[in-house]
Amino acid sequence: MPELQGLYDAVVNGDQKAAVRLTKEGLDAGVEPMELLSSYMIPAMDEVGRRFECEDYFVPELLLAARAMKGAMELIRPLLTASGAQPAGRVAIGTVKGDLHDIGKNLVASMLEGGGFDVLDLGADVAPEKFVDAVENKKVDLICLSALLTVTMPSMRTTIEALERAGVRDKVKVIVGGAPVTEQFAKDIRADGYGENANSAVALARKLVMAARAA
Amino acid sequence: MTSRERVLAAIDGQPVDRLPLMPITMMYAADLGGVSYGQYARDHRCLVEAQLRTAEAFDFDYVSAISDPAREASDLGAEVEWFDNQPPAIIESRALLSDKSALKRLQLPDPHAAGSRMGDRVSAVALLAVRAGGDKIVEGWVEGPCAMAADLRGLNTLMLDFHDDEAFVTDLFEFAVAMELAFAKAQLQAGATLIGVGDAAASLVGPRTYQRYVFPYEQKLIDGLRALGARVRLHICGNTRKIVDGMGRLGCDIVDLDFLTPMAEARAAMGGRQVLLGNLDPVRVLRDGSPAGITQALEECWKAAGPRYIVGAGCEVPRGTPEANLRAMTEFARRTV
Repeated sequence: MPELQGLYDAVVNGDQKAAVRLTKEGLDAGVEPMELLSSYMIPAMDEVGRRFECEDYFVPELLLAARAMKGAMELIRPLLTASGAQPAGRVAIGTVKGDLHDIGKNLVASMLEGGGFDVLDLGADVAPEKFVDAVENKKVDLICLSALLTVTMPSMRTTIEALERAGVRDKVKVIVGGAPVTEQFAKDIRADGYGENANSAVALARKLVMAARAA
Repeated sequence: MTSRERVLAAIDGQPVDRLPLMPITMMYAADLGGVSYGQYARDHRCLVEAQLRTAEAFDFDYVSAISDPAREASDLGAEVEWFDNQPPAIIESRALLSDKSALKRLQLPDPHAAGSRMGDRVSAVALLAVRAGGDKIVEGWVEGPCAMAADLRGLNTLMLDFHDDEAFVTDLFEFAVAMELAFAKAQLQAGATLIGVGDAAASLVGPRTYQRYVFPYEQKLIDGLRALGARVRLHICGNTRKIVDGMGRLGCDIVDLDFLTPMAEARAAMGGRQVLLGNLDPVRVLRDGSPAGITQALEECWKAAGPRYIVGAGCEVPRGTPEANLRAMTEFARRTV
């Protein structure tokens, strides 16, 4: 049996090669993919989030950890899908139309993935119709909208209005975030929540998806 | 005192008749000047008219050629997306240095080249100097090394490069510093007194990476600017709490603070001599707040900063800020000594 604690350390330390190698060794030794994910990788990303929150880790360390996690997930995801395992939730994320600044969105996407969510990253400068399509055809539980610029914040409203027009607004929760975005703005545009940072976005995502599933 | 005398006195620690007032305006100025932001960023004549009108309307002590981070990258051949009424943005998915080996082939651009975006900024500085240089400080602008490296390589990729390829990062920072010094020299020759250095990406990297990679090149740039005779303003927006001590050791004449970095913390980290500028929350306080709230927030900034202080927001004055709110900044500066 491989030393699986090493997988946790590899993700926390952002060592992609070690994370991939240890995941392979674990799978070869017969460890369940869900066990690798829930006992080592998700706790590792929780620790990364904790260090980010207390300003021990910064963006480079977080992105390195996310890359290590992603490398391991590429091996695990097909096995999880084949076994019918349910993700914590299915999320579509993107920066809104007109906004090309995506690093905040990427941090949140990584932390959501690290939190066990199935993340559909629609990228930057995403048209409202693409979010509508994600609800209609990809069955996402949650949409995360990001904006760095005050001038692109209105695209968040436009996106929510597009969901309403398409008749799918009640099928999905919408959360918003980004430097100029405020709790009040989230309320004004009828979003379901506002995430001040990557960690709070993940906590909010968990809360909203669990509540929706319980309803 | 003229505005120019006031700012220079404040920088040099001499008595001033009131606090200098130097908020960054870009989209706000374009709106006030009646031009789209696309025009503002493309045509220095639009930028100059809008800057003059804004500085006049609110009694600012300076005018600036700042507009967007894409001027240098555009001239190097990076792909940029233009918008009618917001700043142009570099397309990171097709970054100029997606392939690292392309760095060796990059030539330093001529900041005077006809039709270039850097040349347009130099022209903006020259026209601002003619129109306002006798009274107000004319500010040129360059990208800091971390921001410039991110513009060329892609911000997300650069964050991983710090770990993956130290030699590439330092080569890229060297290139950025050489280019920005030449760009700043052209702006100084055109009549700028102050050069702003925008290095927002530095706020993302944390103290270890900042000290090891970013600080030495910021230092090289700022030393170079000072050798050219420039006064230097450092603008790193975002949360800089863990790097403010380094920012304070660079020897800048003015250090801007964003609202995420408490003024008192920065003052404690940088000592009493550093001139600090800021740091109202641009959205929550300046745009969405009330004149009374702005006055109170500025009182707090000033108290925390002490006398070596310039009135401003944490970052750009947002489009849509009510006139009365910006007027509250002006009134605060006018009556405070």
